[in-house]
Formats: sequence, C-alpha cells, structure tokens
Amino acid sequence: MERREVTFRIKRFNPKKDVRPYYQEYKLTVPRGMTILEALQFIKDEIDPTLAFRAFCRSAICGSCAIKVNGFPKLACKTQVFTELDKFKTSLLTLEPLDNMEVIRDLIVDWDGAFERMKELKPYLIPDPKVVPDTLDEETRVYPEELKKYDKFTDCILCTSCYSICTATQIDEGYGGPFQLARLYRFAVDKRDGLKEERAKIGYAYDMWNCVRCEKCADVCPKHVGPVDAIMRLRGISIDIGLKDNPGARHVLAFYKSLMESGLLNEVLLPLRAKGIKGVLENLPVGIKMILKGKAHSPIMKPISEHESLIKLMKAAMEVE
Amino acid sequence: MEMVAFYPGCAAKGASKELYESTVAVSEELGIPLVELPQFSCCGAGVLEEVKDILDIVVNARNLALAEREGFKTIVTVCSTCLLVLKRTKYHLDNDDDLKEKVNNLLEKEGLEYKGEVDVKHFHWFLLDEFGEDELRRRVKKPLQSLKVYPYYGCHTVRPYEILGYEPSENPQSLERLIRAVGAQPVSGERRLECCGFHAFWPNPNGSMILTGLNLKDAKLCGADCIVTPCPLCHMNLDANQGRALKEVGESFSIPVLHVPQLLGLALGIEPKRLGLHRNIVPVNC
Ligand code: SF4
Ligand code: SF4
Ligand code: FES
Repeated sequence: MERREVTFRIKRFNPKKDVRPYYQEYKLTVPRGMTILEALQFIKDEIDPTLAFRAFCRSAICGSCAIKVNGFPKLACKTQVFTELDKFKTSLLTLEPLDNMEVIRDLIVDWDGAFERMKELKPYLIPDPKVVPDTLDEETRVYPEELKKYDKFTDCILCTSCYSICTATQIDEGYGGPFQLARLYRFAVDKRDGLKEERAKIGYAYDMWNCVRCEKCADVCPKHVGPVDAIMRLRGISIDIGLKDNPGARHVLAFYKSLMESGLLNEVLLPLRAKGIKGVLENLPVGIKMILKGKAHSPIMKPISEHESLIKLMKAAMEVE
Repeated sequence: MEMVAFYPGCAAKGASKELYESTVAVSEELGIPLVELPQFSCCGAGVLEEVKDILDIVVNARNLALAEREGFKTIVTVCSTCLLVLKRTKYHLDNDDDLKEKVNNLLEKEGLEYKGEVDVKHFHWFLLDEFGEDELRRRVKKPLQSLKVYPYYGCHTVRPYEILGYEPSENPQSLERLIRAVGAQPVSGERRLECCGFHAFWPNPNGSMILTGLNLKDAKLCGADCIVTPCPLCHMNLDANQGRALKEVGESFSIPVLHVPQLLGLALGIEPKRLGLHRNIVPVNC
C-alpha cells in the first residue's frame, strides 16, 4: 500500500498556559485512505497526548470534527490526507481551529456564539393550529413536492464550517449567519409552521441583505446544504410580503425592470433605482470619473433582439406555481 | 477553430467597455471566432433568483437555448457572475428532469429548447484549454518580464466547486498559469480568493468597501505592480472604487487593476488603446 511522509503543522493554544498560539509539527507515515481525524488520533495516541481536538461519530454525521485544513474548513473524519496533499501539491498540511469563533484549546472552538445566534432566529417549528392537529391521533401529511422546497436545508449537521468562513459574518456583527439563516428559511416554507413568510422579517432584522454572495458557505458545506441559496429565497419572500423599501429589494426590482425594458441591465439608472437620490449622490464622484473615461452608456437602452419573447417568458415564469 | 458564442454580460457592454474591447482585440489577435448573439439577455446576476427562483432559471435557460439553436457548442463569457449564473442554470436543468421539462414547456412556446449540449466557459479557461500555456507563451511578442502580478480570483469563477468544477476552489491556478505565460510573475496573496463585496454594495457600501480595501492592501503588501482579475464586477470595486475602498481601511496608495484580456493583450503587443486601457480609472502606465 502506498505510504507517504507527511508533516502536520498544528496550531496549538492552551489559554490557561500559553500567551499566544504557536505551531507544532508532527511527522508521520500515512497510508493511502487515512483520514485527517485518524492522523490526529494517531498523533494523540502515539506522539502527544496533550493535543486537543473534537470528534465523535467518525461518519460525517455529528458535525463535531470540523477544522481548517490548509486554510479551508473540512470535516476531519470525512477528509482523506492524500486528497488534500494532491490538491495542494505538498507534503505539509496545516491544521488550525475554525475561524470566527474563540479557541477553547488547540483545535477546539467555542460554538456558543454561533448557536446562540441560531436560537435567536427561532429555528424550530411553531405549529400552525390550522394545519397541525393538537391530538396525536391525527397526523400532518407533507407531500414530496412540499418537502422539496426545504429538503436539502434539513441536512445541516451544525458543523459551523460555513459560519467560520462567512464573509458577511466577518464584517457585520448583526449578521444572522449562513446555517442560521438557512434554518430560518427552512421553516418559512414549511406548511406546518405558524409564522411562515413572516419569518422573512427575522431574516431582514438579522441583515440578510448583507450576504455578499461569496458562495463560500455553499462551497465548504460537507452536506451540500448551500445556505446562500436559502438566503436568496428568504430575501425573495421578504419582497413578497412587502419589505420593498430598502436598497437590497430595490436593487432586485431594478434588475427586473431593466430586463423588462430592454433585456439588459441599465447600469446608469441603478444607483437611482436602488437607493434613490442618496444613491446618486454617494456615487457621484466615482460616476463623474467613469463618465470622463467614457465608461457610461446612455440611460435609454436599445432592447435586445427578440425582446418580446423574453418578456413573454418572464411573465410565464412569474405565473408558474 | 470552431465558432464560440460570446456572452459579454452587461458590465462589459456598459461600465466596463474596456473589457469588451480587450476581449475582442485579443480574440482577433489569436484567431478566436467569437460570435455575440444579439438575442442574449442580462443573466440577472443571481438577483432574479430573489424575485423568483424559476424566473432566474427560465431567463438563463433561454440564453443557453439560444446558443444551442444557433448550433454553438460553447458559450464564452468574461464575467465571473454571468459564468456562475449560466453554469448554475445548466447544473439545475441537467440534474432535474422535472425542472427541465417544466422549463422546456415554456421555452417551446417561443420556439426554443434546452437540450443540455452547450457548455459554458470563462474566457481565461477557454484560452488555457484551447491554446495551453506553451502556445500562449509562443504567441507573446512583448513578455511582461519582471512584472509582479496579483492574481485576484474573487468568488464566482471558483465557488462553488460543485457547479463550476474547473479547478479546486481551495487552490486554483488558472490565473497564475496565465500570468506565467505572459512572462510575468504571480505573487501569492492571502486574499486572492476573498470576496470584494460587490454584491452587497447597495445594502452595505461600507462593508463592501472594507473588503475591497483589504484585498487591495494585500496586493500592495505582496509587492504587486498590478492586480489582474477575471471579473468586471470585482474590477469595478478594485479599480473605480479604489480611492473610497482604501480610505475605508486607512490607506492611500494606488495600484492598477487589469482585466485578464488587457494583461494578455499587452503581452501580445496590442496597442493600449485597443485594449481600452485609457478607460481604467487607476492609470495604467505601459
Ligand atoms: S450548512 Fe453545512 S457547513 Fe453549515 S453548519 Fe450546516 S452542515 Fe455545516
Ligand atoms: S454567501 Fe453569504 S452567507 Fe454564504 S458565506 Fe458568503 S456572505 Fe456568508
Ligand atoms: S466526527 Fe462526527 S462529523 Fe466528523
């Protein structure tokens, strides 16, 4: 069996003892197929019993073993050492605790903040008495097409990988967070839920429009949950229930309008449409520079060929159930 | 070479004209037969999904189907967000027969059908696939020797891997390969895969500018002479909004930001005017 010499560079930190974190290197021979978690366990058993990491199920179910491998969050139990070596064309793997959370010790981070935030978003079913019977003799049926709306968002195992790399979380303390907002959406489209669409207001209050659509959460999720997809839909619901007078919603409606008018985005009118006069004024200095450089188009745009057909399709799409 | 459908996207047709100009100039120089379809619409930049998810799919299935109707096998785009939106549509349609049928029922009324035969590529992937680094290097007339270039990927050509699938999202190398092919030197920066914040610019301008500012700062820290990016939206933030972004992070320097075909065009010996370099907000001295 193929074996390779691998150096694991592990970030260590014991807040009770260490002034600051440091890196410690462990060299071992790794056979093909070994996971990062097995390597960690080997180090702990055979080399250094003081190494701290978290793991439980070893089957990518409990979500406890997420750490950073060469900078990217991974479930240690699901990730093979060789795959990562090949990806980075290296024999050195740097293992670090997840970001955006405080380190308890070595690779273990404090989840409390992330889960507190989730709780604030009410991530549980608040039964709708019109749909959910209050006796146990009857049941509420959920049909496959109904389940399809939120099925993938129920697969989250709370590993916090997405939260740890979320761009919006890094720059906005009030941001709801990727997996947290995905849970919110999951209940917003569950017919048994009593709040339903109203939940979009919670998303709004927790800055869902500040998601920068960096797609990191979709990329790192070991369960293919794709929180960003839920956030986009939750935004859509917020517009449907009338939360329209904000830059995010107005930006969306500006796109729709542009497509209906010409089939192309009207960039010149975007500041006005998204943010009104304030938008125009804020962007005036840059706007003037752009005009001087010949970057602006005429505010009246010539429609694309077969524009009529696009309009018909868009209207038809809006009618689809 | 087989004709390819050119999907420039609204930015290249509008505020980033220089991207359009340089793409056309480079394609002429390399003999790439780009055909822009006058029927292509805006992809909606992912924003249409927020109106209604099926709307986003239908609008872009139309774009894909138009290319298929005209017999194209490949759509090439120069915008990262257009790339992701078109590829995501394709991904959903190719993996969900019910959805495909539903969408095709609508398209049929407009004389269109999405079959799933057309592929979508970013321009710089297309260059690497069609020519390869060695061939590109041979075509270079003015190697950009000793130029240090920061490869700024941003988000939508790399993530999510499940949909884009061109190169590992944790360690993409396509831009580095191109930079080397033109004789320049890629510098490795920590923020090359970070977001520029463009898509939250309207709700959160300060946040967006902080992200862009940090990215610019990283490029400076790496000793880069310029930044190159495959995305006109990242370019807008990094170039047009550079002053504002740097102010947000307490800095004030200036660093030129080039579109991929501008960098390549310079190395191919195309005059700067044809590459629209005079339109870049931060002056490019070449
Ligand atoms: S959404 Fe995915 S990455 Fe985020 S916590 Fe849930 S399982 Fe982990
Ligand atoms: S797409 Fe939005 S929610 Fe997901 S990681 Fe990026 S900013 Fe966070
Ligand atoms: S140990 Fe449970 S997910 Fe890895």
